[in-house]
Amino acid sequence: MIWNISWKNVWRNKARSLVVVCAVTLGTISGVFVAGMMNGWVDQRIRSAVYTEVSHIKIQNPKYLINEELKHTIPNITEISDFLNNSDKVSAWTKHTKIIAMASTSRGSTALNLKGINVDEEIQVSNVKDFIVDNGGDYFESGFKNPIVISEKTADQLRLINYIISQELLDSITDLGADANLISSLSSIKNKRFITEKKFKAQLESILKPNDIKELGAQIMKLAKNYKVRSKIVFTFSGMNGEMSYQSFRVCGIYKTNNAMFDQMNAFVKEENIATVAGFMPNDYHEISIILKDDKENLTSFKDELSSKFPNTSVMTWKELAPDAGMMADFMKIYYYIIMGVIFFALAFGIINTMLMAVLERIKELGMLMAVGMNKKRVFSMIMLETIFLTLVGSIVGMLLGGALIVIFGKIGMNFASVQEGFEAFGWSAMVYPSIDLSFFLGVTIMVIIIAILSSVIPARKALKLNPVEAIRTE
Amino acid sequence: MKVIDIKNLTKIYNESEVKVKAVDGISLSFEQGEFAAIVGPSGSGKTTLLNLIGGLDKPTQGEISVDGTDIGGLNSSQLIDFRLRNIGFVFQAYNLIPVLTAKENVEFIMELQGKKRIERDERSIELLSAVGLGERVNARPSKLSGGQQQRVAVARALASKPKFILADEPTANLDSKSTETLLNIMEQLNKEENITFIFSTHDQRVVKKARRVITVEDGRVVSDEKRN
Repeated sequence: MIWNISWKNVWRNKARSLVVVCAVTLGTISGVFVAGMMNGWVDQRIRSAVYTEVSHIKIQNPKYLINEELKHTIPNITEISDFLNNSDKVSAWTKHTKIIAMASTSRGSTALNLKGINVDEEIQVSNVKDFIVDNGGDYFESGFKNPIVISEKTADQLRLINYIISQELLDSITDLGADANLISSLSSIKNKRFITEKKFKAQLESILKPNDIKELGAQIMKLAKNYKVRSKIVFTFSGMNGEMSYQSFRVCGIYKTNNAMFDQMNAFVKEENIATVAGFMPNDYHEISIILKDDKENLTSFKDELSSKFPNTSVMTWKELAPDAGMMADFMKIYYYIIMGVIFFALAFGIINTMLMAVLERIKELGMLMAVGMNKKRVFSMIMLETIFLTLVGSIVGMLLGGALIVIFGKIGMNFASVQEGFEAFGWSAMVYPSIDLSFFLGVTIMVIIIAILSSVIPARKALKLNPVEAIRTE
Repeated sequence: MKVIDIKNLTKIYNESEVKVKAVDGISLSFEQGEFAAIVGPSGSGKTTLLNLIGGLDKPTQGEISVDGTDIGGLNSSQLIDFRLRNIGFVFQAYNLIPVLTAKENVEFIMELQGKKRIERDERSIELLSAVGLGERVNARPSKLSGGQQQRVAVARALASKPKFILADEPTANLDSKSTETLLNIMEQLNKEENITFIFSTHDQRVVKKARRVITVEDGRVVSDEKRN
């Protein structure tokens, strides 16, 4: 019956309780949603770190880490290959050669990490294939000689992107609701080629009204973008023997991941197209990338196993290779609870205040209860339960609504396009899909109960200090 | 059989360096089945005396034994338990729990005593019927008149099967009709069930019904009149 009384007491002063319940609800919604959003970001960053950038475990020659010279290839590659092929913990693995090379076209040049890959194996380990941009060719599917996959960033630096107002673009813009004036303005530069984004933008600004640019500018830029797939890029690098070597490739695909830094550095070619000219022998590789079946369970143990089996290699996990993501994976869960803790700590003052008022206006009744034989433990429990109910109602509603928001935005995503560049510079996606573990809600519930118990101490002590004789006489 | 035996009871309050003797060396005893009224003017000490008998207040001096137990020797948590098992209280302002129904208010005491649900159910309905509220068991106090609320309070006081019931000015807030009904019910319970009632009052209607009238003035008993 104490449960019954406590529950009913919560609703005795409906307006006052509802104010607290609403405050707790709003606090919980915001806490849960912020945690979900950050978790979505972290998940995305970790997925990107593992499946795009570094895989679960990487094996390299320790000397290569100090000095990225081509001669520092991985020793004992045959034994390592056999071991990996026979391990039941490995889901997929592949080998890369890596050359730091200067890429040049007739219009630009840039330094790149040229990775020689085995395409069939690579797609088991890396998801770069999924990031090929629209109209940006394909991932080594075209049949031409010496294909290369470069990033959009590299294409831009090598001036392999230009901007053209085509008839197709005009048609699409018309479909989007552009008026005749806009179309005629755009038609004035139809089929004219702009070799930089800057020049194209300047031209658009000179012929279009600011309002049109605001409405359709981004769409026009996107549709006008034209990747010069099949363009030739010449790479210059120093080969195994230390002499300068040259090799030309044709762009077959252009990718764009969420990590601008990764994009700026990496280009991919088929290993056989670079091996001969660089002077690699059949077993010369610079890194082995491994994807595990169960990385949560096996990451550290498998790393240790590899390290002890092949002591003359350097074995590193993704947490070491992408320390930002590794740190977040370990720290973020605690961080979510800190966010919730701060919110509930602030709410606790409101809860204490409300419960104190509830006790003070019931002095007579509490005195009566003690007079007729309700002991201190029961009085304390009653007030504690009231506080727990009051807090729990708000937090359960808050968790349900916050959870619903996470589910909804987890499906449609949240686009932070306005700050996209800044995000991608750090490897974060501008598109966030909030997500959260169910265990988080259990943690929050336990936290709410603890906060409620702590908040009930002051009001409950106040009640226990009452002298029944005086309390009953209070008017 | 003596239910309450009071010897040389004194209660002194220290109010801002002035000592007030609220009860001054009272000796009294009550038998099972008494229907007694303690009367006296305001400030005469009748409520203090009632609080001391009910174990709500501690005497400065003297002894109160209830059924052979010296309640002056009990600590505060023992006293709470003692009150729960031995004494029924009826207050001037009814003091029901507003969020509970009449039946739940009566049951509550039995739950504190650890009685089983079936027993609680049966007894609470039986008691509410006895005070004439058999039809209103599910009404909340706010839906009942003052007289009806006080009858629920009497049923609640009886629920724990106490050795006696202390009623502090139970009719002070009631109109004559409600007072009449309430007094008749208590008198009937006293006669039929042999339940001991001790009132503090200055309501002449209560005094008229009482079979023993103890008059207190300045903390002392000035007369103790038994009637038949």
